[in-house]
Amino acid sequence: MFTNFGFYTLLLTLLVNGISIFSNFTGFKKIIIFFCRLSFMFISISFISLIISFIISDFNNLNVFQNSHSSMPIMYKIAGAWGSHEGSMLLWIFVMNLYIFLFSFNKTLKFKIKRWAIFFQSILIFLFCLYVLLTSSPFLLNPINVNEGLGLNPILQDPLLVIHPPLLYLGYVGFSLIMSIALAGLITNDIEESWIKVTKIWSLFSWSLLTAGIAMGSYWAYYELGWGGWWFWDPVENVSLMPWLAGLALVHTLSITNHNHFLKRWAIFLSILCFSLSLIGTFLVRSGILTSVHSFASDTTRGLFILIIFFVVTTFSFLLFLVKSPKEKNNLNLLFINKPTALIINNIVMLLACFTVFLGTIYPIIIELSLNQRVSIGAPYFNKTVIPIVLPGLLLMSIAPILSWESNKFKNKLIYIYALILLSLILIILSFFSTFSVFGILGLLLATWIILGTLFNIFQNLRKYKGKKYLFFLRTNNSLIAHFGVGLLILGITSSSVFQKEYSNSIKLNEKLNFDKYSLQLKKIDVVDKDNYQGLVGIFLLYEKNKFVGEIKPEKRFYKSNSMITTEAGIYNNIIEDFYLVIGDRNKEGWNIKFYVNPLVILIWLGAGIMFLSGIMSLWRF
Amino acid sequence: MSIRFQRIFIIIVSIILISIAITLILYNSRNNIIFFYTPSELIDVDLNIGEKVRIGGIVKENSINKKKNIIKFIVTDNKNEINVNFEGILPDLFREKQGVVTEGKLINKFTIKADKVFAKHDENYIPKSIKKQLKNNDFWQKDY
Repeated sequence: MFTNFGFYTLLLTLLVNGISIFSNFTGFKKIIIFFCRLSFMFISISFISLIISFIISDFNNLNVFQNSHSSMPIMYKIAGAWGSHEGSMLLWIFVMNLYIFLFSFNKTLKFKIKRWAIFFQSILIFLFCLYVLLTSSPFLLNPINVNEGLGLNPILQDPLLVIHPPLLYLGYVGFSLIMSIALAGLITNDIEESWIKVTKIWSLFSWSLLTAGIAMGSYWAYYELGWGGWWFWDPVENVSLMPWLAGLALVHTLSITNHNHFLKRWAIFLSILCFSLSLIGTFLVRSGILTSVHSFASDTTRGLFILIIFFVVTTFSFLLFLVKSPKEKNNLNLLFINKPTALIINNIVMLLACFTVFLGTIYPIIIELSLNQRVSIGAPYFNKTVIPIVLPGLLLMSIAPILSWESNKFKNKLIYIYALILLSLILIILSFFSTFSVFGILGLLLATWIILGTLFNIFQNLRKYKGKKYLFFLRTNNSLIAHFGVGLLILGITSSSVFQKEYSNSIKLNEKLNFDKYSLQLKKIDVVDKDNYQGLVGIFLLYEKNKFVGEIKPEKRFYKSNSMITTEAGIYNNIIEDFYLVIGDRNKEGWNIKFYVNPLVILIWLGAGIMFLSGIMSLWRF
Repeated sequence: MSIRFQRIFIIIVSIILISIAITLILYNSRNNIIFFYTPSELIDVDLNIGEKVRIGGIVKENSINKKKNIIKFIVTDNKNEINVNFEGILPDLFREKQGVVTEGKLINKFTIKADKVFAKHDENYIPKSIKKQLKNNDFWQKDY
């Protein structure tokens, strides 16, 4: 019953958006806001119907049958609603609708712009509704009568499935609204202060959520065996990074436009680019052209449809941009090195990085089409291109706070120079006593330099700050805080990749193995029996220099509904280091184990979390 | 410095950045791509020992040999075979008679020392490219 309900409300969403597009050209224009809210109501009902179908395990629904099982915990039943391609596309439409619904309450923009923004967003929603209804409906009826479902892919039965996709979509799809607002600004030729302000709010919001979404996905990939660690340069990861980089450029550009109202044209271009990248990314991932470890079931017709949407939307948007983009006097205050210059170089760097990632992602397709050779581009390409490209941007970022908006004089320049020299000396001396690595030193230097620089600036601003409202103080210093997060992120990336230690061996029950200064003892193997799986949990005792540190519990699980075995890593974290342990097969010599010591890896997610929070915090200023 | 000079300076900096990026892309896309072969193709092409490759095929029946933490197995496309040595933990879906992709260095013409073994987490999964190849070799059966 809920299946039909969901189907018809989705159909109504399509219809309402069709009418809404049409109503923009009638005399009674105010009604478009009503249609926009009505559409949100319908899509919500549709989405909730799907979730209910999953909760009550209604196997008459084909999608529920394929992706759920009555023995699964309720949490995974709900999350199963967006665990498959069909359901995730419904979530996509829901998010597009949610954004325009929230936007419809905006009071700062003129009605004219608002109306056109809703109009463009309605077109996008209309196209995607059509896509879901024609190619990937989650509301198909199951042709056979069954009592039990096939079960959700065990790898996806993880608490992060509940939160990672919605957050990611809120960011990734959120860029659609920014594009709609940009197009509305173009067509009405009315790009004023209010437009910049609104775009800034929404782009910061989407970008922050995308940051959080990517960070969570990376944490999931970190502990899930077979996904290649926290960042694998897998196509699915890359396509989320591309709009993130473009969004980063947009957020920074808007901070200059806010300051002296230039670069509007560039901001519009970036607004359109962000969602175009989201669309092309969706096409690359969903069409099955690229093979990825984080796969969705793929289908060529689905891919073709998205490709058509991509071409129609992007061509139209960029044409509109070319025809109607506002003329501006180029009196941007560019000096040898001041804030606008730094921000422009930042933009160039971000877009170059974005382009590099894009090229690396589609390179296998180009080679296959032109030379009929199958190739894969792995992490080495990306590491060797993206890192050197973003390096100048990071260097600029580290001195950004001391640059001024107008002149090219540095503030406190001597302190910075002395600090940098001192820091390099300390690191070089330290590295003589430990493992030497050029990348390690560079990364650590950059990270500590950024961290200390931003902290120093925050401290200085705090001394000047007379008020008592410390939350307000944090909000006004959000860019410094975000950069502090970047520093932590670099520190985490460098230390965990350069100074990672990796061991493998096999271990018997009660045996104690030594790995450098650490030793592991397999105390016992427990058998657990859960609703959806049975598991073997190895209880390992970790010692450092023969002193007990903690327990690590890696697991092997057998999922009954799919008869699949999965391996869950055990992690013990003492903030400074992550002890990461995986159990493999059993043979005559005991269990195979793989043991990693990842120093400071937790800073990757701490840094990303700080970036997310600072972005969200800055919104309160408006 | 005059403002005009400074602007020229910025433009030059941008151009330098862009050209560095393009050089990096071109250089690395030539040196860091890994070619993908089936066992027969690998034997056909002449590669240097030590080159990095990806091999896709089917894990041969009864070929898995585990000793301590070194695993040896044979990847086949039913015409030719390649030996794979791997140290580490195999993915959960690694099985005999199932599709597998391994990446590693060539240690002699018929053996690679793999550092990565991928078996996709979908039971009837077989990479598209292998499927195409196996179909050509009449090695395609429905149950893969």
